[in-house]
Amino acid sequence: MADAKDTVPQQAEEGELEAHLHTKRMLINMGPSHPAMHGTVRTRVELEGETIVRAIPEIGFLHRGFQKSCENVTWNQCLPYTDRLNYVSALMNNFGFLKAVEMLCGITIPERAQYIRVIASELHRIHDHLTCVGSIGLELGGFAPFLYAIEGRELIMDRVTELTGARLTTSFGRVGGLNRDVPEGWAERVLKTLDKCHELIGEMDTLLTANRIFVDRMQGVGVITTEDALDFGFTGPCLRACGVPYDVRKARPYWVYERMAFDVPVGKNGDNFDRYLMRMEELKQSEAIVRQGLKDIPPGPVIVDDWRIALPPKSEVYGTIEGVIAHFKLVMEGVPVPAGEVYDSSEAANGELGWYLVSDGSGRPYKVHVRAPGFALLSGLPRMVEGRMLADLIPTFDTINMIGGEVEQ
Amino acid sequence: MNRTLKILSVAILLVPGVLFGISWAQYRVGGWLAESCPVFHTQLQLCDTGGTSLAWVSALLFHMLLFVMVLATLLTVAERKWSAFTQDRIGPERARIGPAWMRKHSFGGLPHVAADALKMIFKENTRPKAADRDRILFWLGPVLAFAPVFALAAVIPFGPTVPVNGYAISAQVANPNFGLLYVLAIASLAVYGTSLAGWASNSKFALLGGVRAASQMISYEVALGLSLVGMMVAFSTVQLPVLIGSAAAGTGQAQYLWQGSVLGLDFGVPAWGIFLQPLGFLLFFTAAFAETKRAPFDVPEGESEIIGYFLEYSGMKFGTFMISEFIEVVVLSALITAIFLGGWHLGFAGDVALAQGLGKSHPVLYGAFCGAVFAMKVVFLCWFQLIVRWTFPRFRYDQIMTLGWKVLLPLGLFNLFASAALVLLDPSLHWLAVAGLLEIAVLAGLTLTRKAPKSGSGHEAAGHGTPDVHALPAAAASAHH
Repeated sequence: MADAKDTVPQQAEEGELEAHLHTKRMLINMGPSHPAMHGTVRTRVELEGETIVRAIPEIGFLHRGFQKSCENVTWNQCLPYTDRLNYVSALMNNFGFLKAVEMLCGITIPERAQYIRVIASELHRIHDHLTCVGSIGLELGGFAPFLYAIEGRELIMDRVTELTGARLTTSFGRVGGLNRDVPEGWAERVLKTLDKCHELIGEMDTLLTANRIFVDRMQGVGVITTEDALDFGFTGPCLRACGVPYDVRKARPYWVYERMAFDVPVGKNGDNFDRYLMRMEELKQSEAIVRQGLKDIPPGPVIVDDWRIALPPKSEVYGTIEGVIAHFKLVMEGVPVPAGEVYDSSEAANGELGWYLVSDGSGRPYKVHVRAPGFALLSGLPRMVEGRMLADLIPTFDTINMIGGEVEQ
Repeated sequence: MNRTLKILSVAILLVPGVLFGISWAQYRVGGWLAESCPVFHTQLQLCDTGGTSLAWVSALLFHMLLFVMVLATLLTVAERKWSAFTQDRIGPERARIGPAWMRKHSFGGLPHVAADALKMIFKENTRPKAADRDRILFWLGPVLAFAPVFALAAVIPFGPTVPVNGYAISAQVANPNFGLLYVLAIASLAVYGTSLAGWASNSKFALLGGVRAASQMISYEVALGLSLVGMMVAFSTVQLPVLIGSAAAGTGQAQYLWQGSVLGLDFGVPAWGIFLQPLGFLLFFTAAFAETKRAPFDVPEGESEIIGYFLEYSGMKFGTFMISEFIEVVVLSALITAIFLGGWHLGFAGDVALAQGLGKSHPVLYGAFCGAVFAMKVVFLCWFQLIVRWTFPRFRYDQIMTLGWKVLLPLGLFNLFASAALVLLDPSLHWLAVAGLLEIAVLAGLTLTRKAPKSGSGHEAAGHGTPDVHALPAAAASAHH
């Protein structure tokens, strides 16, 4: 030891001789298999202590080639693919796609079909928001709100099953309207379901919104400025939480949304708590829309009366040669969508769901591109969490409510 | 609903009976042990076990191994069952054992205890390759998490000291004269288990959990100790039996602050810790909750964030972590009962009459009755902890630190100085009690006067029927076909 000391230059400062601890940043993988990273997404997080220095979301674990698959099937056969985009609110994907195709065809669907589409869309908006809010509660450690949400969600799933025949992958609606009308007694059951959901949402509200721990963890966390949100292409509740009252249902009303009385909640802080509040308020507004829709829905056909677009009635198919031919051509060749291109969008649960469709006049799409709201939201995630703590990543990831299926095409 | 009532009524009859039986058996076995093994009579000099010999073995058997262990095991099912109640579910009921007639009933999910234990024991005991380097520490983690927590129960008196066969039998394994200091010392050892587990697993998530656990437990250690000093000052002791006191002699928490008498029964406000030190009680309860690492303080576990310090453990090693958490719940409930809830005393009425009547004529029955009262309070507190655990979401790591250092610590210091001054002014504790009751009134007032619900941090709704196109994002507007 004494020898070692002699070799040290005389002028050495004390600080110079200290062996500084070698520190380095910790790189951890949140996902793709992680309890909070639902939707199978991976976030590579660089930590300094518990502070996030860098967060890089990586997608690709759910890639199924949606766009290419659509080019190989007829327009109506694309529907099952659209189910699997945002699988939490499949109906809105179905209808959004159909709306774009109908725009390309230049047809207007019957009023009753419009009402049913609005009602079913809003039911699935409740479904989607319940899932989101419930999982926020779950991942912050409150298991009870999650199960309340799941109970309401389950009831809505039952109603959707009665309507479409499937719980999750609805594949409902056809170009020109709907493939079937609502079942008998469905409206009454929906109203009862809404009553129950209202009660459950109230319970969740008392458990979460006024809870000091919950508010502390949400408020001022995951903030994004209005400018950044617009630059990233945020839409839906996440954009409205920043104070931009942009809602496709109000900005470019489609179907019968113009006749519905509903408010669009707008926040101002752009943080997790505002995003959460947007969803809680939209739950109530959606409920109001469904009630109005069920009250005002007129009788009538649910699909256009055009055998080039809609299947002819079965009696015609079995009884007349024209019916057989129309049926055959529609099934084998698809809806003859005129050549052209279109961009059309609707307000899905998480924002503007846009469709860019190109048709070459054959019965199959030439190109289908979907503008998924979740993609823009996920790309803004690093901006929201960098510099915050690791624990903040979880509620932020929850409130943007990215759905893996629609982000990866 | 009917079924729930049935189960509840059976439980209300059964539970006190079983607890009474455990306590009674402990005194009887203790008496028999003291009688049959008198050679050890003067062996234990370090700990004053009430002048008896091997009687402490009976307390070890009946209170630590039977009561604490079994209650902790039952809590695993109780937690799931109670969370099911709060969450509108049925809860565990699928595990069925025994002959056909037994299989028809779910027995409130009780067979799940056996199913869980079997699962834990027979699961493959894996160790990640990365943990090979520290395999001894890896093995030591669960041991060190479990042992100190369990050892805490040694100084807890589960009942009064009563004469049996001429020997004074206490319901306590050891009664060292440094009582509460032992609790503080041993409780802080538990942090080694969690941090070693996090370190030795050689996994980033486990390491984060271990670090979080270590910092959280060390921080709350301070508040935990500080919150008890007020009680030590008030009764000038650190020994738990002295703190609880005796109703016959009117000492400790058994004494009445204000007393009346109706029909020969004594009524009054007892000098319980919760009345003398409500702030201390709240601080201790919060800190104890943080020590158990359960929600809302389950940051080290944080299953949705970092999975937890026991991420790499499987089989019974994981089971040991889990059960030590529940044992901690039981032991801390017992500590709170002994320090703040008057131990084995009924409290408001009949204590003195009971101690002078039954206590003189049938001391063992009196002891067993007191033991049952103590155990019922413990069960109640365990249930209370379950409610809290299933009501609140989780704190964030820095919020926990803020709460510990910036709220609990100053409050604890203030509480200590204020109560020390009050005890100095009035050694009969009446002023302290008045201050305590005032504190309770203020806290109750604050809790009951609910603030007007926030109108959603200023979110306003755009009026319906007014399509707000003026604020349309430019990109979205131009994208419209």
